[in-house]
Amino acid sequence: MGEVQGRHVSHGVRSVGTLARYGLLALPLAFVASLLWVPLGLMFVWSFWERAGFWIRPAFTFSSYADFLYGVRLLVLERSLVVAATVTLASLMLAYPIAYFLSMGVRLELARAVLLLFTVPFLVNYIIRTFSWVYLLSRTGPVNRALIAIGVTDRSVDWLLFSDFAVFVGLISSYMPFMIYPLWAALDGIDRRLVEASWLLGASPRRTFLRVTLPLSMPGVFAAVIFGFVGSFGESAVPIILGGVGYQLMGNTITSALDVLNYPLAAAMSSVVVATMLLFLGAWYLAFDLRAVLGKIAWWRF
Amino acid sequence: MRRRRAGRAIAWSYVIGVLAFLYLPLGPPLMFSVLSGGQNGLTLRWYRELWGNALLVGGIQNSLLIGALVGLVTPPLALLAAMAVRELRLARLIVLTVLMPLFIPGVSMGLATAFFFRELGITPSFWTITGVHVLWALPFAFLIILAVMATFDPVYLEAAYLHGANRLRAFLDVELPLIRHGILGAGIFSVILSFNETTRTALVQGPLNTVQTYIWSTFLQVGLSPTLYALMSLLITLTLALVAVLLVIGARGAVSPRAG
Repeated sequence: MGEVQGRHVSHGVRSVGTLARYGLLALPLAFVASLLWVPLGLMFVWSFWERAGFWIRPAFTFSSYADFLYGVRLLVLERSLVVAATVTLASLMLAYPIAYFLSMGVRLELARAVLLLFTVPFLVNYIIRTFSWVYLLSRTGPVNRALIAIGVTDRSVDWLLFSDFAVFVGLISSYMPFMIYPLWAALDGIDRRLVEASWLLGASPRRTFLRVTLPLSMPGVFAAVIFGFVGSFGESAVPIILGGVGYQLMGNTITSALDVLNYPLAAAMSSVVVATMLLFLGAWYLAFDLRAVLGKIAWWRF
Repeated sequence: MRRRRAGRAIAWSYVIGVLAFLYLPLGPPLMFSVLSGGQNGLTLRWYRELWGNALLVGGIQNSLLIGALVGLVTPPLALLAAMAVRELRLARLIVLTVLMPLFIPGVSMGLATAFFFRELGITPSFWTITGVHVLWALPFAFLIILAVMATFDPVYLEAAYLHGANRLRAFLDVELPLIRHGILGAGIFSVILSFNETTRTALVQGPLNTVQTYIWSTFLQVGLSPTLYALMSLLITLTLALVAVLLVIGARGAVSPRAG
């Protein structure tokens, strides 16, 4: 009798414990859901509301989207897409050889140390780093002086600052470091025997790269593309600092809509940016296995 | 053989060139912060002037307090998320959810949370900034802790269970000592991210300032000044110092016994 009762009690304790355990484990998910998922969803809802004095009121109108899609802001969207695509591609071309070399040609400890060196500038606020480019690229700045000194030009180059070029430089230096990691992780995870097999079967190094290494590194490439694209597509500070007066990308157009208290418009544009990101992310989730990028980090079942 | 060596030299000089491109912007603020503007060269005047600015000193206090809170709150949350990946089903979905803040542009994240707080009637404060910073730091802390936990063999936990330890006891006595450095590293990484965040903060700051929003709003209103450069230099130095601490912890962690 006593034993049965004892077992019953311990069972009760265990189920309370299990409940507490699940509750604890779900805590971070609940946090992200309530502070990110819910606000993003509500932002989408608010993009259909209308302006009311200093705030918004419930309605169902497409006027914010119309404002956005039929005005000059459509050009902003186009330009943002072009800039983000260009920056992502350029960053990929810069980052891929580094990731390839670090995964194939260097000992693991050394590769990790070099990857760490790429992290450090990323940790310093990118706005501070972007301010520096104003000086570095200015008419009398070091880059122009160096160009004159080596005889590339005899006069200061004007288009270095407050131009597309300056925005590209700012965005690449802000977001490229971040792209090296997924590339390296994917390349490092490739089974070397596949590459060796390709050699043994007589493929040239070039062919091996194009037919074996590159396709196997695609999950990392796609992850890197997402990182580069998110950063440069939604960026608000770099175009303000380096683009010059009137240089508009999605990010700073959203903040200027906020400045004139047009909250529904800001919500609509922001929803377009987020929807673009979710499309990318969804495609990635469906096309690739997360393990291909995180595999080196955690080998438990996914 | 010689050709191979030449290839390596080219590869290394490329890596170093890209690194130089990334490190170059760290220099100018340090330089401008000590130039006096006059004939006689160098000065520390701009650093002294920082402390006379009440708005800025308030911002520094806020940044320190928020940074400390973020550093304390984020690692336990990230640890729980990493354990959820190991112990619950739908691990892929959990990973993607926790990594989500990485994929949402700063403006959108700031805007959505700012609207959300406003609709709920939560006035922008310390806590709203801290909440958004934790959200931003969580995926990074999560990845760091996940990486360290992957070096721990769960077989040790099972050994502890066989000896009668419950889950909590086994975790505290067996796993925690072995992944401690990862949790500490995640904490410092979170503090660094909190110190260096502007875009999201600027939308939920309300009347409060952090060091970064002070720099950003001063730039928008009056432009850059030697005092701002001094402030930026302090932040760069502080960030580099914290990275150094991170390295020391990482090196210690690497020496500690690992399961293989």
